This record gives sequence, structure tokens and C-alpha cells, in this order.
Amino acid sequence: MKLYVYCLVEGMDELPHSLKGIAGAAVRLLSWEKVSLVVSEFAGDAVAVTRENALAHAAVVQGLLERTTPLPFRFGALVTEEQLQNYVSAKREALQVKLEQVRGCVEMSVKIISDRDWTEEPATNIGHEKPGTAFLSEKRREILGGEARAQEAKRVAGWLEGQVREVVREIDFKPNTTSKLIVASGYLVERVRLDEFRQKVAAARQHRPELHFLVSGPWAPYSFANIDLEFKTHFGVS
Amino acid sequence: MRLSPETPRPAEPEIETAHAEEFVEQLRCVADSLPSRINIDAQSVEQGLAKLVLTLIEFIRRLLEKQAVRRMEGGDLSPEQIEELGLALMHLEAKLQELKTQFGLADEDLNLDLGPIGRLI
Repeated sequence: MKLYVYCLVEGMDELPHSLKGIAGAAVRLLSWEKVSLVVSEFAGDAVAVTRENALAHAAVVQGLLERTTPLPFRFGALVTEEQLQNYVSAKREALQVKLEQVRGCVEMSVKIISDRDWTEEPATNIGHEKPGTAFLSEKRREILGGEARAQEAKRVAGWLEGQVREVVREIDFKPNTTSKLIVASGYLVERVRLDEFRQKVAAARQHRPELHFLVSGPWAPYSFANIDLEFKTHFGVS
Repeated sequence: MRLSPETPRPAEPEIETAHAEEFVEQLRCVADSLPSRINIDAQSVEQGLAKLVLTLIEFIRRLLEKQAVRRMEGGDLSPEQIEELGLALMHLEAKLQELKTQFGLADEDLNLDLGPIGRLI
């Protein structure tokens, strides 16, 4: 029997009884060296990537957000209890630094769509070009359009950062250069400043009506956890 | 950290947008391009290997295209050289498309998640 790991938490002695994990399994707390992990038992060697399992993972993490700030593991972390204990011993300091980094915070997500098409109009002589030249001309338009979109994404993200900087602790900016969704950013916001953050974003939206916003949260700080890589390196788990 | 009674608790998550359908469409595109996990068994290992090799070829192909466009813009290629280079890249793109079809791979499959560095393509 292996353990499915949901997240790290601090300051909790017991978990809410209502929490149910992957496949409806009971969720429990394991603590070593001042590090507590939320786990459930799992029979099998791999967790199927299904909507039901993904939602169960998210529900456990989100269910704890009301009481503390969980540091979530990526979906699918399956280990033995001994492996987990070794992992905590080896990474205790790094994990505590991570917990300290997100302590008292939640993640807010802002996604922005720009309808503007950055691709240049085709040249008027495109019908007269030979096939190879026409192919390269079309590639040129695509490449330049992508570069222009990337620059716009950085400009918009920078502008938004300027609007909310004073009320966020950290920002995780993910530019997207391949679609209309030009910005997908995560903001680590102290719980006490959540309303301020929302007000700042609402004010910013008023200034840029041409951009379409999606604001969501509060979420557990998934974008700021980044503990999956260490976990994989340690166990070779994927 | 145990939250004291006066510490504000976050509300239930909310999603706020005036353009829900547009975001659903865009996020669906992003989700489709996420790499699926590959089980290393006899059936899938061949496709997994093809995916890896074709991703690297696609990465190099795109670099070649960018380099060709830069040289074209720089004016150091004759019209004949541009045509020749364009045809070579066009054939390479067609060949890669053929291989993708052969291995049952879509455009969005050809990418690698490099962890904190981001995605290869």
C-alpha cells in the first residue's frame, strides 16, 4: 500500500473529518521533524489522470485553505511511508523555507486575453511569389507576429504588476505567445490584503477595457510551491 | 501557523469575468497542449520515443526557420537562395507532418516540460 501525498501543512493537529481523498480514501496527517504532510492510502502503482481524481486532489488542498496555507504537491505523488520520511529528513530545511514563503497567503490568478491580431497583413505580391519564397514570407509574418505578441504580453504583465505590486508578496508571470491568452499570472497575496488586491485589479480593469480579464481565487499557492521537481529528483516519481 | 480567530479566512474561490466563453475556449486550447503522462510499457514506449525525437526535430526546424527569416531580412540571400531555402524548409515541415501522423501525434504533443525553465517550444 502506498501513500498519495496532497500537500504540506503547518500548525495542524488534526484534519477536518469531511475531507475525502483520491478514490474516497480517508485523509490523514503524517508528521516528522516539524513537517506535516496530508496523505491518503492508495492501492496501486499509479494514479490515473482523470477528472474525478484531479478534483479530489484539489478538493483536499482547497479544503485546508480555510484553516492554513497548504503547500501543494503536484498531482500524482505516490510513495511509500519510508520514502516520504527519508524525503522529509533530507529536505526539511528547504520545505520549511517554502512554507515560510507562503505562510498566511493565498494565490490569486489573473488571466488576460487580447483580441488584437499582431500578425502583419500579407504582402500584396504574395500571389506572384514562387512557392519557397511564399513559404518563407508566411513564416516571417508568423514569427514577427509571435514576437510582437510576446512583447505585448510583457508590457501588459508589467503594467498589471505596477498596479498591484504594493499588495502582493510575489508574482509568477507566465507569458503566452501562442494564443489570445497573453497573460496568466499568479499572485501571492497575504490574506489580510485580499480585498485590497481585488480592488486594485478592478481599478486596473477600468483603465484597459480592450483587455479581457479573468480573476479567480483564492487558491492554494500552487504557482509558488515548486516542490514537485525536488520530489521527482529524490524518488524518480513521475 | 495556526490562524488566530481574528485572522481573515479566505472566502470560497470565485471566478470573475465578463468573457467566460472566450476564456473557456482559450483554456481548453492550453489544456490540450499540456503533455500527457507516458506509461513506459511495451506498447507506448515506441510512441514516447518518437514523441521525444520529433519534439527535438521540431525545435531545430523552428530554429532553422527563424534563422532563414533573419537571413532573408538581412538581405544577404539572393532570390534564388531564398526560394531554395524556402522549398527545403517547406519539405521538412511536410515530412515532419507525415511522421506525426504516422505516430498518431498532434502538433501540441511536440513539446517538453523543462520544469522551472518552462516549455521547450
